[in-house]
Amino acid sequence: MSDVTLMSDKRNAQFLSRIFVIGLLQGICLLILVGRMYYLQIVQGNYYHLLAEGNRVATRALLPSRGELCDRHGVPFAQNTTTFRLVFLMDKRDKVEKTLEALSKLIVFSDEEKEEALKSTRKKRGLDAVILKENLTWAEVSTIELHGADLPGISVEVGGVRTYPEKSVGAHVLGYVAAPSEEEQEGDEALAIPGMKVGKNGLEKHFEKRLRGVPGYSAFEVNARRKVVRELDQKPSAPGQTIRLTLDGNLQAYVQETLEAHPSAAAVVMDLRNGDILALASTPSFDPNLFPQGISHKEWNKLRDNVYVPLTNKALSGRYPPGSTIKPLVALAALHAGVINANTTVHCPGYMYVGTHKFHCICKEGHGPVNVSQALARSCDVFFYEVGKKVGIDRLAAVYQDFGLGSGGLPDFPYQKRGLVPTKAWKQEKKGEKWTVSDTVQASIGQGYMLATPLELAIVIARLVGGTRLMPRLEGIHGMLFPQMDYKREHLDLVLGGMGDAANMLGGTAFRWRILDPGYEMGGKTGTSQVRRITRQQRALGQTRTYHLPWKYREHGLFMAYAPVHDPRYVVAVLIEHAGSSGPAVQVARDILLEAQLMEKEAEL
Amino acid sequence: MILKSFFQKMKPLNWGIVGLIFVIAALGWGLLISAAGGDISPWASKQIVRFSIGILIMGGVALTNLRWWLQFSYIFYWISFVLLCGVECMGFMGMGAERWIDLYVIQLQPSELMKIALVMALARYFHSQSLPLSLAKVWFPTLLVLLPVCLVLRQPDLGTAMVLLLTGGMMFFLAGVSLWFFGVALMGAAASIPLLWNFLYDYQKNRILIFFDPGQDALGKGYHINQSKIALGSGGLWGKGYMQGTQASLGFLPEKQTDSIFTLLCEEWGFMGGLFLIGLYVVLLIACFRIILTTQNVFGRFVAAGITITFFLYVFINIGMVMGLLPVVGVPLPLVSYGGTALLTLLMGFGFLLNVGAHRTAKLPR
Repeated sequence: MSDVTLMSDKRNAQFLSRIFVIGLLQGICLLILVGRMYYLQIVQGNYYHLLAEGNRVATRALLPSRGELCDRHGVPFAQNTTTFRLVFLMDKRDKVEKTLEALSKLIVFSDEEKEEALKSTRKKRGLDAVILKENLTWAEVSTIELHGADLPGISVEVGGVRTYPEKSVGAHVLGYVAAPSEEEQEGDEALAIPGMKVGKNGLEKHFEKRLRGVPGYSAFEVNARRKVVRELDQKPSAPGQTIRLTLDGNLQAYVQETLEAHPSAAAVVMDLRNGDILALASTPSFDPNLFPQGISHKEWNKLRDNVYVPLTNKALSGRYPPGSTIKPLVALAALHAGVINANTTVHCPGYMYVGTHKFHCICKEGHGPVNVSQALARSCDVFFYEVGKKVGIDRLAAVYQDFGLGSGGLPDFPYQKRGLVPTKAWKQEKKGEKWTVSDTVQASIGQGYMLATPLELAIVIARLVGGTRLMPRLEGIHGMLFPQMDYKREHLDLVLGGMGDAANMLGGTAFRWRILDPGYEMGGKTGTSQVRRITRQQRALGQTRTYHLPWKYREHGLFMAYAPVHDPRYVVAVLIEHAGSSGPAVQVARDILLEAQLMEKEAEL
Repeated sequence: MILKSFFQKMKPLNWGIVGLIFVIAALGWGLLISAAGGDISPWASKQIVRFSIGILIMGGVALTNLRWWLQFSYIFYWISFVLLCGVECMGFMGMGAERWIDLYVIQLQPSELMKIALVMALARYFHSQSLPLSLAKVWFPTLLVLLPVCLVLRQPDLGTAMVLLLTGGMMFFLAGVSLWFFGVALMGAAASIPLLWNFLYDYQKNRILIFFDPGQDALGKGYHINQSKIALGSGGLWGKGYMQGTQASLGFLPEKQTDSIFTLLCEEWGFMGGLFLIGLYVVLLIACFRIILTTQNVFGRFVAAGITITFFLYVFINIGMVMGLLPVVGVPLPLVSYGGTALLTLLMGFGFLLNVGAHRTAKLPR
């Protein structure tokens, strides 16, 4: 063994170059580490900081209390009632199965409910509680409180349930709340909060933003097992706004009750001084209290399958041919256009030919010579055929639209529909046909393509009586000034005179059901709208009235009216589906107008 | 008299390295206290005791005669090898892998011991050979490397196998083995990957798959590395403050006191904290390189180089692993991670390094 302790120069040189390579490699590796550290901590630091906060902080949302809806006197239509609900707190999630097992022995808690609860606890990531059961009875609350120690994670929370004390009264206009659907939840975090309800229809939906309020939250620090370590922060929820409506609870109840006499009807009552909707009803109605806690399938099917469509607000979304109620507007258009004056008479033989087609008057024998007032009072079709033909569809449509037909009436109100004012352009586009004189003649008596909603008819009568461009409203107690319409007062007065005669002069179409109490008299215009054409055969058999047809083929009865005639304040539009004539609508309107005036008197006393 | 000769022996030791080891270890104790939520037990106190034992071993090794170790190196290797075989027979399951021998006092990890023993054996072999190293001279050291690697892989301990293989490879490179050899070895390694894959447990396969796609199964298999990155990244420039790390203290960070301790450091002390520790490691490495370069005997050089490389690999694999640069293979952060045998063998290794440093100019027989 020789003693070569020192390395040879050659070996030394090679070693040095190779150790240099290794040193260099190590240096590069360490630089990569530092670079990676820089990237994670400095470049992406904020991103990871957020992730770490997300790990650490869990929030529990606090429900805001929903604003109330009150009538014009401050009586609540929609309010929140305190209830007790059973919740499971998610920081005890590992004990959920045992707890539910114990729970089902204490209170009524079905396997279905258990399954549902287990499913939602598995889905949950945050600390929001899972609602197990709503509307606990006192007995259930005390049972649970008593056995609290055996039920880890279980808690009884005080919650608000939306209730509608007037039940079916005003249900259509108020709408209702229910748990939000999955589509509604998208893009709206507040709706993901357990127990959150959202307006589904009517004013509840219309005023959703103002009614809802702002949810608050509690933030907790949690550990990796999602156990709460401590509370970090709390922001209380802000309650929603209480909204006072223009509706009059008493009148609304009266209107609804009066309408209930008919299988399917709608009415709108307005104060024409300010456009306040005092009552807006549709029958049959429903109980909105069914919805907030989730309506049962049975109840829902019952409502859905009812042929009288109780869930539809016919006052806003029912579209009907306005029939003769359109005639005051035809008269006004003719007067305004100078086609007729107060004394112009038309001879009514009971029919009129347009080309070869025979148009009939409601009076088979003919009214004889009639002027505009008489034509309105007696609802002579031939007069308006003649006059409408002369005015022409362009000028007619302009006046119809001017009076709010085809506008809907309440901007952005859910499920509201607009009527239809046909024009030449409209027919060309929709039907691909040219406008004919026949079409004009039909539009002059509110038939053919014409459609209007009861609310639109209420606007028509209010604008005719007030001479202002009135807009209806459901909120706001302050007075309001509407711009004047550009029609001569004398023309408007002439039309109103005709409508006053209709309800107060012998021979008027509404005379039979006039208001007898002096000082309370009403004026108005009747209308019947055909649901299907009267065949020549039926006419020959004298079946121009449709009483003997099945209900759904009978004519709709319409009446729009105002009262009192000497100093008008109230307007009403009534629709009775398939009434067979306008008579029932007149009776309903009469009762409503009288009641409204009596209520006013009573309030003054 | 004895005292005087003792001090004389102590004098040539590289006290800079010793000081750095103390500083890094002390930093580790601080982190272990934070990991325990501000408590010195259970981790920091135990770690200090182990460190004290380790320092004694280090001193003992440093003060012995290098010549003696040259004689003893092969025996050391074979003892370690037999122990390593022992875990196959009498080892018990710990963390899903058989790595420990229970000596009733401490649990011994022969694979850790093997890291030092392999370095010693290779150093001894290359010391005895003259250049050039023909193929006939390379088969024996290749066997020295592959035998323990195969055993460790059987356990299976990917991290240790990797450290052994890479240390061995780099020592071959330093010894002047032809570059052709490395080419062939690389191809052989690549060819044996599919074979190796079958040897791995599912959790190891998952760790490697997760490495290539950390986003998948973020709450399951990818949880560890994702939470580790979140903890590290959320530290930012200056960190959340000592004992303020939310990821660690709220239990989001698994293995915070052992393999993930660098993450804890970065969460609480930020980029600057991480940079500081890496800086300390760099200074320590430079001191080690100085010993390698100034040592004049082949055995000493190779011992020093082997220990330095092993040490570097620990640092690189651990930090790279927690930052998602390398698959999770279970390698501790040297001198800082909580754990017994790794610390003891590492300090023993530094003992050899100090020993070499003290005998730089010693003449050793072939």
